[in-house]
Amino acid sequence: MKKFVNKFLVLTLSGLLLSCVDLEEKPVGILAPESMFKTTKDVETAIFGAYGWIATERLYGRQFVTALMLRGDMADIGDRGTPAERQQVNDFNMDDNNNMVNQFWPVWYQVISASNAAISGAESLKLPENEINHLIAEARFVRAFSYFHLVQVFGDIPYIDFFITDPSTVKDISRTPQAEVYQKIIADLEHAKQWLPDQQPQGVRSRPSKGTAAAYLASVHLTLQDYPKAYTEAKFVIDNKARFGYGLVPDFQDLFRAPQPGNLQEHIFAIDFLGLVSGDGGANDDIIPPMTGIRGADAPKSGWSVSVPSMAVYNTWDSRDYRKEVSMDDSALIGGVLQPYTVFANTKRPHIAKYARYPGRSNSEGRYSDHNYAAMRYAEVLLIAAEAAAEVNGPTAEAIGYVNEVRARARNWAGKQTTFPENVAPGLSKPEFINLVLEERRLELAFEYKRWYDIKRRNLGEQVFKGPNSLEPHANFDPNRDYLMPIPRNEIQVNPNLNPQNPGY
Amino acid sequence: MNRILSFKLKWLLLLPFFLFLVVGAFAQGILVSGKVTGNGGEALPGVTIVLKGSSVGTTSDVAGNYSLNLPNANGTLVFSYIGYVSQEVVINNRTTLNVSLVMDAKAMEEVVVVGYGTVKKSDVTGAVSSVSSEELSAYPAQGTVQALQGRAAGVQIQANNGQPGASFKVRIRGGTSINASSDPIYVVDGFVGGALPPPEDIESLEVLKDASATAIYGSRGANGVIMITTKRGKAGKPRININSSVSSQNEINRLDLLNADQFRAYIKEARPAFDLGSANANTDWQDLIFRRGAIQNHQLSFSGGSENVNYYISGNYYDQKGVILNSGFKRFSVTSNIDIKASEKLKVGLNLFAQRASQQQAYTQEGSGGLTPGVISAAFKFEPDQPITDPNTGRFTVARLNDPQDNPYAVATQLENESLNDRIQGNFYGEYDILKELKFRTTIGATTNSGRTGYFAPTTLNVGRTVGGEATVSGAKSTLLLNENYLTYTRDFGTSSNFSVMGGYSFQTSSSENWGGTGQSFISNAVSYWNLGGASVWQSPSSGLTEWQLGSFYGRANLSLLDRYLFTATIRRDGSSNFSKNHKWATFPSGAFAWKMSSEPFMQGISAITQWKWRASYGLTGNQAITPYQTLARFSNVYTIIDGLAVNAVRPTVVANNDLTWETTAQLDIGTDISLLDNRLNFILDYYRSVTRDLLFSVQLPQYSGYPNQLQNIGSVENKGFEFTLNSRNLVGEFQWSSDINISRNRNKVLELPGGNELQYSAAPGHLVGLGNTHVLREGYPVGTIFGWIYDGVYQEGDEFLAGGGFERMAGGEKFRDINGKRDAQGNLTGEPDGVLNSDDRTIIGNPHPKFIWGFNNDFSYKGFDLNIFFQGSQGNDILSYTLMELNLLSGINNATTDALKRWTPTNTNTDIPKAASGRTRRVSTRWVMDGSYARLKNVALGYNLLDSITNSLKMSKLRVYISAQNIWTITKYKGYDPEVNYMSEGATNSNRNLGLDYGSYPNAKSYTVGINIGF
Repeated sequence: MKKFVNKFLVLTLSGLLLSCVDLEEKPVGILAPESMFKTTKDVETAIFGAYGWIATERLYGRQFVTALMLRGDMADIGDRGTPAERQQVNDFNMDDNNNMVNQFWPVWYQVISASNAAISGAESLKLPENEINHLIAEARFVRAFSYFHLVQVFGDIPYIDFFITDPSTVKDISRTPQAEVYQKIIADLEHAKQWLPDQQPQGVRSRPSKGTAAAYLASVHLTLQDYPKAYTEAKFVIDNKARFGYGLVPDFQDLFRAPQPGNLQEHIFAIDFLGLVSGDGGANDDIIPPMTGIRGADAPKSGWSVSVPSMAVYNTWDSRDYRKEVSMDDSALIGGVLQPYTVFANTKRPHIAKYARYPGRSNSEGRYSDHNYAAMRYAEVLLIAAEAAAEVNGPTAEAIGYVNEVRARARNWAGKQTTFPENVAPGLSKPEFINLVLEERRLELAFEYKRWYDIKRRNLGEQVFKGPNSLEPHANFDPNRDYLMPIPRNEIQVNPNLNPQNPGY
Repeated sequence: MNRILSFKLKWLLLLPFFLFLVVGAFAQGILVSGKVTGNGGEALPGVTIVLKGSSVGTTSDVAGNYSLNLPNANGTLVFSYIGYVSQEVVINNRTTLNVSLVMDAKAMEEVVVVGYGTVKKSDVTGAVSSVSSEELSAYPAQGTVQALQGRAAGVQIQANNGQPGASFKVRIRGGTSINASSDPIYVVDGFVGGALPPPEDIESLEVLKDASATAIYGSRGANGVIMITTKRGKAGKPRININSSVSSQNEINRLDLLNADQFRAYIKEARPAFDLGSANANTDWQDLIFRRGAIQNHQLSFSGGSENVNYYISGNYYDQKGVILNSGFKRFSVTSNIDIKASEKLKVGLNLFAQRASQQQAYTQEGSGGLTPGVISAAFKFEPDQPITDPNTGRFTVARLNDPQDNPYAVATQLENESLNDRIQGNFYGEYDILKELKFRTTIGATTNSGRTGYFAPTTLNVGRTVGGEATVSGAKSTLLLNENYLTYTRDFGTSSNFSVMGGYSFQTSSSENWGGTGQSFISNAVSYWNLGGASVWQSPSSGLTEWQLGSFYGRANLSLLDRYLFTATIRRDGSSNFSKNHKWATFPSGAFAWKMSSEPFMQGISAITQWKWRASYGLTGNQAITPYQTLARFSNVYTIIDGLAVNAVRPTVVANNDLTWETTAQLDIGTDISLLDNRLNFILDYYRSVTRDLLFSVQLPQYSGYPNQLQNIGSVENKGFEFTLNSRNLVGEFQWSSDINISRNRNKVLELPGGNELQYSAAPGHLVGLGNTHVLREGYPVGTIFGWIYDGVYQEGDEFLAGGGFERMAGGEKFRDINGKRDAQGNLTGEPDGVLNSDDRTIIGNPHPKFIWGFNNDFSYKGFDLNIFFQGSQGNDILSYTLMELNLLSGINNATTDALKRWTPTNTNTDIPKAASGRTRRVSTRWVMDGSYARLKNVALGYNLLDSITNSLKMSKLRVYISAQNIWTITKYKGYDPEVNYMSEGATNSNRNLGLDYGSYPNAKSYTVGINIGF
């Protein structure tokens, strides 16, 4: 019996030893928010997360910018075999469950959540203003940048400017009126302009500077048709261009020749992709080159012919304009033989060349490219200044001068000076000049996702889609409906307080 | 960790020792032989025959024959057999002893394995189904789960994919969850979470279904428990068994597709401007990717033992060549079970199991298209006018009409996707009889699983060509340790009353590691995935570690009064690390009562009734199927570039839930077991109702919160139903016929959702873009309810075309029904049409749950012949076919089935197939929802046992040859290629919600098998 007792004790004790139950979870390799923010470096890490999430397939890598591009009159659907969701965005036939919207809507808010997390982390460090505010300013810039896109696309939107630790606090909020959203965007940008440095380390353009904030203030005020303020901000950028390191690159093509340097002088805010690598969730996955590339062509121009300009875009663009040469490809190597667009396999039209021609290190269809995409570049600031100045004071010499600066650069045909486009002829009326600026924007910034916003802010829809000179006629265009996209159906189902849906959906 | 290591080392050191022990010595003497028969003269196989007071013994063979070497002709032989009265026969110098055993009518002493013990079958108070080893090894199966299909009432088993080596979904009494896994737990020789042995090594399998039986497994019991007992040695001379079979396989069905001319005519109609070029092949892609498959299945086992040491050693080899090119599955395993009676009071034993499984996968059931389509979906949709290779470039052809996807032959032959899994498991037990009535048992088990997968897309494929070849290697290793310690006390009061109580505790821990890397752009395709370092482009590597612990206390009491009234009570308290900090521990009780009505005096004298028992039970069980760390908030890395360089970057991705707890299922079971006519007829009937509350659900958050969803405990779901099992020995005697029928009916219903609001979700291939949500969770309806529009055929000229964004408004266009949209003054929907089609017009259009499932097994035998016919089926379930949706959308982007020949044209208007038109939106509608009922001849087998005279002359105890066929006949109205399909049905999140979906599955196979069973 004693022997048994001993045995029993041994067995039981060995069991008890094993049974030191510790149910506390101690995850290794997982980042917990509570312990995330200890130094300013951690705040920077959180802000960088927001940039990385903008440079994704869902936003600047494909979905969001393609939707913007198709919505305008400069890019039409090429391959009609492409998913219906894209055709419906292009054809003003979308419903409230459009998958392009379903893809980019959440990601913009995840970018906003990342910047809110960074701000909340920065504030938790309790550092003096001069040590932390430049980072708060950077995060607030990213937030403003994101909401600026959202408010232009959707109008009234849910607006959140704090880090969410309990989602139930926002589950039944209503949409914030767009006027109010714009005021908050302006407040963020003003803060950014106050606290951001003149230049970021190494002068990189994938992080904002004081000049970036001012340029976006100019753009926001232009959108709000507050032309005096738009002019003031644009002028501020132009006057301080040396301080910020801004200027036009001499050769227009160099803007679209990847890899663009991180401190390219014309870039005011750039979305930085690195060739051939990608992360989870579509991070750093740039698919714009194949979306605009030519079906069946040799690498790197080969692609899927999804977003292809109408023939009118090509035909109406003066062939003496170097920017047309840079922006479009009307021929391509197919099986090693240069072929005109009339024998392209899928869509027999000239294709967009800004992205597919020089994607840098990329796969053979130009995917995972090396591009740094300009979300804002100096030429646009010049054109904002021209338009705003003209709205305030008419077509002054100053206003004309800004346009001419842009045109002068365009006359540098890969190092060879040409005479086209000529300087703006004097004597234009104010409306004529403003039209000229808008046309200049259409061509200078062609396929750079600006045109739709111009059509919207200038209310040009009926003219450009239904007018006699329409580049891309859409009889279906309805100004009461189509200036806004629908809030995703799912969002309204999860939170009915987002009702009413935008009109017409 | 050191402790763990030392345990493992100990086993390894002990192994040769045990193997050595089993080589027993067998003395020479006189030979006694004879035949053991039952009351009716029928042969009794498996009767244990032991020389009294010694370790010498044997068992009778299939024909009831035995022979035994004895030291001398004195002494007494003891004949014992479950369900029969043991008999002692004095040898008295005889060399032939024929014995007739008498059935023990009082109690069929068959025992049933339950958690932490066994009970006599007649004393079972819970709902338990037993499946025999013969049923499990009736035909070659890639694993035990597949072999279980159709065998037990209340158990539904579906292949997640027909791919060799693919997983199965097992539901016992329905899915008790929405978002958490509802797979049962497996207990192998007492090891919770142990590896499943191959079917041939299983002695018995019990399915524990009601709370009374499963609550002893507490937080893991809600989905039922499958108890597996592996074969063990019996005293006697060594026995050798060889089971061997080979099978030939074909895909179960194909689809009728357009040929090249029909296809080109259709595309011309859909997209007149499209230049199809001069392709002039007529390729049958299904022909190219399918091949004749084959299975080899072999088992060799040795078993035997002396009075003190018994052994069972078995090796299994299963090799399946899939019916699609370059696909297959192999497994090789060894099992060694040793039982040692160390002293009168102490028993110890060790089960060892080692298995290598390797799988070569065909790419199927793709979740998203990309440029590499799945082999099956592409075999259907790829353009038939294209040849395998482009004559100009010599490259594999790619699709012209949509994204330039590779053709299916290219994907099947070029893409490499292989995995290898090694499993090593040891489970030690020690059992000590402290007192006559008090037993202590401890078990220590460890199982490790090491896996590696390799993937290579060479430059001959589009996806590889664009990046110069892409290779990924990933590895994973997991370790599970379990220690159980419990005491069992039994007390017999006489007068047919007894009492037993069991109590103990256990500790279980798990650790899983994973790591992987991807490279692109290689010098040559020949390196496959074995030279990542040679890649000129490196993608981010990955690694991860997850661990969990579970500590438990448990107990059970059984009381039997007058052999009539049986009471069982169990309780378990579990603490799990997986749960949130506010809810680490929970308790799961159960109780059951059974009444053996037939033992009551008033039932005596009714000779037809052998036994009639009533059972009732109620209890709580849990489901802790939540992955570690899921309750914690976290930031995740974002691959971010600043100034052309990757930098550290994070963003918030998961929001915490400090109150997350397990799902709790309360289950009521009422059943009756009736045996009639000396057990010739056995009925088991059960009614059950279970309600699971605190459902774990990944609740969709508003996307503007920045988080897609949050795991919450929401609402409740109900499963209720009937199970009916009938075993009947229809004919006995020379010509025997027995039948087993099981029918199960389960009704699944969502009882409660947060705020009563419905939740919608999407379960569809990513490349069928634009579908939006496809399913709805709504109170009063089952989980997995299909949600969409009602398809009303096609519009004709002159019809009024309903307005609506994305809806067609033309003759020949798809016509959907306007059923809702009108709003009242408050803006609420009224359920009346508004003349506009939009998302408000969707409704419930399908229920993927069967009304009932069934299995019907028949065994016939006559002389040496035996015949098995096994049907299995499902009735009343709907299937949503994405396969047909993709093919027959008719928007001119891929091939279609021959239904496309009936499409609307101005001259063919009397049809419900729309015209060919580009830009058509894909919609989940009644057009793609079909009845998926089927009845299938799962197995038919004809065997012949060679006569004793022949086997004896060959020194064999058994020689059986058989031919069989599987899945050769199916009755169904389903228009896809197979009603037994699934899609996106793997993993905790999907397995309960995604039912009855069809997309690009690897087809099931028809098999023809020949085999042989030999015993020595």
